[in-house]
Amino acid sequence: MSVTLPEGDLQSRLERYLKGFRNRHGLGESAVEGNVVRLVVEPNILPEVLATARDNLAVLHLSFITVVDLEGSFELTYELLDMRGGIVRVKMRLEGEEPVIDTVTNIYPTANFHEREAYDMFGIAFRGHPDLRRLYMWQDHFDHHPLLKSFEISTKRTFEGLR
Amino acid sequence: MSLDILNQEPFRFLISFGAILFLVLNLAAVLTMAERKVSAYIQLRYGPNRVGPRGLLQPAADVFKLFTKENVSPSRADLWVFLLAPIAMFIPAAAVWLVIPFAPGAVVADLNIAIVFFIAITSIGALGVIMAGYGSRSNFSLLGALRGAAQMISYEVPLILSLLGIVMLTGSLSLVDVVNAQAGGFWHWYFLPQLPMFVVFYIAGLAEARRVPFDLPEGESEISGGFMVEYSGMTWALIQASEFASMGLISAIHVTLFLGGWQPPIDALDLGSFNWIWFGLKTALIIFTFQWIRWTMPRLRMDQLMDFGWKVLVPVCLIWLFVTAGAMLLLPSVF
Amino acid sequence: MLREERRAREQNRGGRASGRLAGPDVRDEFGLETLEMNMGPQHPAMHGLLRLILELDGETVVRCDPVMGYLHRSKEKISENRMYPSVVPITDRIDYMNNIAMEYGYCMAVEDLLDAEIPPRADAIRALLNELGRIMSHIPSIGFLLLELGAFTPILYAFRERERIQNMFEAITGARMMFHYIRIGGVKADLPEGMPEQMWEYIEGLEKRLKPDFMDLIEGNEIFIARTRGVGKMTQEKAIEMGLTGPPLRCTGVSYDVRRDYPYGWYKNLAFDVITDEAGDVEASYRVRIGEVQQSIRMIKQILENLPEGEVMADLGRRIRPSEGDGFGRAESARGEYVVHVVSDGSDTPYRVRYRTPCTVNMQLLKEIVPGHYLPDIMPIMGLIDPVSGSWDK
Repeated sequence: MSVTLPEGDLQSRLERYLKGFRNRHGLGESAVEGNVVRLVVEPNILPEVLATARDNLAVLHLSFITVVDLEGSFELTYELLDMRGGIVRVKMRLEGEEPVIDTVTNIYPTANFHEREAYDMFGIAFRGHPDLRRLYMWQDHFDHHPLLKSFEISTKRTFEGLR
Repeated sequence: MSLDILNQEPFRFLISFGAILFLVLNLAAVLTMAERKVSAYIQLRYGPNRVGPRGLLQPAADVFKLFTKENVSPSRADLWVFLLAPIAMFIPAAAVWLVIPFAPGAVVADLNIAIVFFIAITSIGALGVIMAGYGSRSNFSLLGALRGAAQMISYEVPLILSLLGIVMLTGSLSLVDVVNAQAGGFWHWYFLPQLPMFVVFYIAGLAEARRVPFDLPEGESEISGGFMVEYSGMTWALIQASEFASMGLISAIHVTLFLGGWQPPIDALDLGSFNWIWFGLKTALIIFTFQWIRWTMPRLRMDQLMDFGWKVLVPVCLIWLFVTAGAMLLLPSVF
Repeated sequence: MLREERRAREQNRGGRASGRLAGPDVRDEFGLETLEMNMGPQHPAMHGLLRLILELDGETVVRCDPVMGYLHRSKEKISENRMYPSVVPITDRIDYMNNIAMEYGYCMAVEDLLDAEIPPRADAIRALLNELGRIMSHIPSIGFLLLELGAFTPILYAFRERERIQNMFEAITGARMMFHYIRIGGVKADLPEGMPEQMWEYIEGLEKRLKPDFMDLIEGNEIFIARTRGVGKMTQEKAIEMGLTGPPLRCTGVSYDVRRDYPYGWYKNLAFDVITDEAGDVEASYRVRIGEVQQSIRMIKQILENLPEGEVMADLGRRIRPSEGDGFGRAESARGEYVVHVVSDGSDTPYRVRYRTPCTVNMQLLKEIVPGHYLPDIMPIMGLIDPVSGSWDK
């Protein structure tokens, strides 16, 4: 069975996506800039927003999930592509030191490795993830999450205190 | 004491047996060098060319290095089985040379059941592979041993069936008779009337010698060495020597059965008791084709390998046996 | 909390430790046992340092679990501590078979933050080198695919081509492998004199050599077809679900290529086809890669015919200090869609750099597709993904 990607004019498609999101969910900010539909959402409605994107708007490809550690909170960016020139960028902010958020692997299975990496590097736990293990770091006795700003690297302190 | 005593039984056998052993070990060493050079030129590079003139002393350097290496064995390996396996692989490859005629009258043991001897002893080689893989007690070796067992045992069937045509044509199981029956020029050689058998024996011989495309027991890409992954030093050298010796052996048997043994291609080029030169040239040609195939083809997967052996080679053999028998009945003057 | 759960799970698995043969005390309720085996991280033929935890039932793989991280070099953390131009050598080493695309993506991301205008000659040279880098990566990929199938010769023919391209790169950039040539604002220096003619000669020669040296020897080979046709077969939905991009996705028939769908740089002016194949197996991925090499040859010829004149580096000032915000650079590397997300806080060093490397995501294929295949099929499937360990581990 083959997959059909959306056809048609880019601008009209982007407008359609924006309207589709606005109609269904209460969003923080939403705008179309260039070829990007920018959305800011609350963490609790994120899975529904992504489900809308995949099921109703045919935006099929989750490109990446970026986590940025703004000391005190995390900003997550989910970038979705419709593979024909349109981008939907969903941002949200998570408060707290060890936040928990619902997984999106049931909507976009490719998020599996992205979320594992986020857990490994930042300590964000994803509720409902089928296999939440570390991806890069070693799995026993390493209790740190390296990409946090509080994890300092200095040449003197490379391995003492890490094991 | 005249030198005639050396022609008497115990001495004749012992001297010739020593000569055969010397030949086989040197053949293994020379073949390592030949393999590397042939592979190099196929891959558009030079092979080893530093040690000695044009690299000819490379095998000596290799053997010297292997003598000085430590024989490491896994701690929980079954030591008896582990250490006996290379010997069990080498002895069959060396023993069958005793029945091969090199020149008129030059055969160490003129058995009248030489073909059966060949088949029986080569089967022990399969046992050696299983011993090596099982005795190493490691996952990769076990997989290699299982694959080796399956492959070598199943390819013995087409190997044997392809010989039966020759046995029918010659009327005897003795290799000396087979060579004598191919006298008179290359149109009498058995590869012409038995062409499908020639090809089947070649392919089954590749499988018995565990060469690409049938080198899955040793599958370097997935199980990195397979049944011989745990061997190093002299034990490994013995396994390698047995592989090259068996490759040489299969080529020699191939030449003896299908390409006329020591018979010259045209009677005018008969060299009398120097006909071992013809034998050597033909064997070298077959060995070269073995190496050529190794460096050109990818390898088959296990199930494809077994499919090919059972579903293609065996039926071809059986059909050609009927054709040979029919031809012998209908054209008694020719056969 | 999750850590404790994981540890408890591992301890409960008890006697089924990897590597031990079934003894009488370890018995399943059905009396059958699968063999749990490790492939790698030290292995002569893995595409790098990858550990695959395999559960085998005879020769059939029941479960395949890739464990990555053996080459993790914390590139994202290092990038946070270096000034913007100094991050380019870091990106070089992410995918060491196709470095030029890695630099390109990062530089595009920073130029997005700076809203910089790149001179057209720099754009053209970037695209030219990107395509040469693609050839440089695809031809050895095919060689590696065949090496793992057991044919030892094509890899040497492939590396001969790669060496010739590396010689040209050495003349242009000064290095055979870690180029550090694409810089923020353009490229480091102009092409040397005579280089376009030399490239033209090489490309014509490659076009003539591609068929007799590679395609004729590989495509008709019965054993190659038997080992690769039908192996690793995927449907288009599965491929998109897993997030595949690049040749693994295009070999199922989905036509998605960043150069055409999200065009960047000089690609807006180039005419090329996106090669797809309907079959979705390893043989299809081989055909996609060879087709992409031919398209790259076509693109290089177009660029060389119309190479614009001018300078090669935009004037961005002595210090690169973008304003706050995020910049995105999306490029098509030889392995798939490569995105760099740079978050800036107004200082000299980036606040966060995220490399979305295609291989990390493409490796999910191993978990999903390999179970059900035979053990020797794992290698051709790795040849389908064609990963590079620097790229999946960053």
